[in-house]
Amino acid sequence: MFIKDLACISPQLTFEGAFFEQDAIIHKGSQYWAVEPSYAGTIPNGLLRRMGKSVRLATGAAMPLLTKWSVDGIIIGTTDGGMEDCHRFLNQIIEYNEGTLTPTGFVQGSPSAVAGGLALMAKNSGYNNTHANKGLSFENGLMDAWLLLQEGAAKSLLVGNVEEISPAQYRIETLAGFIKKNEVTADVLFNSATAGAVNGEGAAMFVLDQVPENAIAELVDWDMISFPTYEELTAKAYALLAKNGLTVSDVDAVMLGYSGDANSDDWYGEFTTRLFQNTATIAFKNLFGESPSASAFACWYAAHLLSGKQAHAMSVIRPAKSALRTVLIYNHYQGKQHGFVLMRSV
Amino acid sequence: MTRVVVTGMGVISAIGNNLEQNHQNLRAGQTGIRTAKHLDSAFADTFLFGEVSYSNPELRDRLLFESKSGLTRTELLAIMAFDEALSRSGITPEQVSALDTAFISATTVGGMVETEAIHGGANTNKLPSEFVNSYRSGSHTLSIAQLYGIKGYTDTINTACSSSANAIMLGARLIKSGRAKRAIVGGVDSLAKYTVNGFNALQIFSDEMTSPFDEARKGLNLGEGAAYLVLEREEDAHGKSIFGEVSGYGNANDAYHPSSMSPDAVGVRGAINGALHTAGLHPEAISHINAHGTGTQNNDYTELLGFTKIFDKIPPYISTKPYTGHTLAASGAIEAVYSLLSIFNNEIYPSLNFKTPIAGFNSSPQTVYMQNVAVNHVLSNSFGFGGNCSSLIFSKV
Repeated sequence: MFIKDLACISPQLTFEGAFFEQDAIIHKGSQYWAVEPSYAGTIPNGLLRRMGKSVRLATGAAMPLLTKWSVDGIIIGTTDGGMEDCHRFLNQIIEYNEGTLTPTGFVQGSPSAVAGGLALMAKNSGYNNTHANKGLSFENGLMDAWLLLQEGAAKSLLVGNVEEISPAQYRIETLAGFIKKNEVTADVLFNSATAGAVNGEGAAMFVLDQVPENAIAELVDWDMISFPTYEELTAKAYALLAKNGLTVSDVDAVMLGYSGDANSDDWYGEFTTRLFQNTATIAFKNLFGESPSASAFACWYAAHLLSGKQAHAMSVIRPAKSALRTVLIYNHYQGKQHGFVLMRSV
Repeated sequence: MTRVVVTGMGVISAIGNNLEQNHQNLRAGQTGIRTAKHLDSAFADTFLFGEVSYSNPELRDRLLFESKSGLTRTELLAIMAFDEALSRSGITPEQVSALDTAFISATTVGGMVETEAIHGGANTNKLPSEFVNSYRSGSHTLSIAQLYGIKGYTDTINTACSSSANAIMLGARLIKSGRAKRAIVGGVDSLAKYTVNGFNALQIFSDEMTSPFDEARKGLNLGEGAAYLVLEREEDAHGKSIFGEVSGYGNANDAYHPSSMSPDAVGVRGAINGALHTAGLHPEAISHINAHGTGTQNNDYTELLGFTKIFDKIPPYISTKPYTGHTLAASGAIEAVYSLLSIFNNEIYPSLNFKTPIAGFNSSPQTVYMQNVAVNHVLSNSFGFGGNCSSLIFSKV
């Protein structure tokens, strides 16, 4: 499966700015807000005002692609969709003690409002699906897309993720101990030695196709495991490589989901110690923050690195000795859901 | 081509806490819709609901797990049906944990059933409730994966009311592709203030018993429940009781409106035609339809219009929403179970509360119980907000 085109709105200048030519934005604190474009020319103003943030981010990233490419379906991975809309509706329920409410937040706050909204705007009546599976939502989307291409049910698909920072989700995740309570800057995030990650948001969208012509990078394979032991995790990675005719030494770089969370970053350390001691290592969450489907941002980053762009120094943990041809992304969410994406240059 | 068969099913709904009870009530034409006993909502007495008879403590009492705190009603209902599906299929704990076993679940409300506990707490920065990890759609899937030691492919689908039809579809596709050897698929939703108020705000509740495909239909009754199916390759199912085959599936988007369906039934026709295509069947091969049939003006008109455009003669169709209420993300899986019961037992259950055909259509659902009929291929429809339309075809093996 090949990436024909891609777009990303993120806490970095990935959409309109020159992310690879300029210094990265060094975020501070525990909320890495997306750098949003004006959306002018993409989303009509009247529509834009009524859109929740997830729908806006996803539409902003996806619509230019859907205008340029004809796709046979739309697949979105998102943990909550429009959590802010959803919470607005929940607050109405509490505030007005039920009663007569306006349904806008209820309809827009559904995770499926993103893929459904894109279908509506792009007049796309093809396959449409929403994976709301926390830390594996993006990998689920890749599997869904690959199956459709294999079955001959589609030739080209839009696949992407979207996550928003909402006050409700931020407070709940903070209460649960998943977000840092102390203020750390992004350049020293991985040395923080404190519990919790930093909250990121954005949307990464990909046009995927079965044929390699004019592709940017190849999505070779992906896999996942839940609640593994270290042994099960490394066996899974090893099996994924072997299935694709590769060994550990064929991987030019591993891209790892280090989040600065002292409670769960050990997974990455242990993973490299066991399998990739001498392999180049690149991080991404000090650029994009943590979100359940963060591997989509890693995939966007890796696609560019595989097509010759240089990694930002602050994301390089162990530098590569040569140009990257094969990259393995390993990301977990809160230590429970673990996903792999194997990518190759074309 | 690998054939995907159903070797186990589990269901909990307003018409029963297990497969047998659901089956008995379908045969008897006995509704489960009544005044809610457990739902905590200002509308509990205003509307009628398809509520599962067990309270949360009663559901907890039935679980064999040691740790039961932090489980929401959504998770409790899911576990009841999941466990029944596993025991009926006879798959072993080792098979459940095998890397080539997929688990795909679906929900819309998920942990938001605990509205106050989670979101009240989120507003006031109170100490985390036991439900702090439960609010996301994927949370119930993760809970079940942890409790049952599921290590393989997991997924949570949320396409509103077509969610679990998409879960079944994805499971069948994973098996056919060879990416999984077996899949446990289905969905769950519980009655919650969130959805009760959402549908009330959209003004699509009936204040009476829902009457799908009736000219005077007033809207839907909300329900709750869960259903799971164990899908296996036919060659792995020797010696097992097989309920039927997942033979066709189609998914299309209506691309018309966020919360209503197009007047020319684009999504409905796309989903049904997709299912016929993958099954390799002509429309006349369909013996019976389990319609989405929510009893709203918009759905029933559009769905029936879709039928007239696809079928020269519409096969006997029913809606089982008057039995269970609209169980949202669970409805696709619950109605898959009912469709497979029809196939397995050679019978068609009566559609309830119908009196007068919709103006412009000279068409009535099947309102009388039919026994000893050949039910070879059943079409089951699920349509949701966001234009999400999915259809499944189940076939006799």
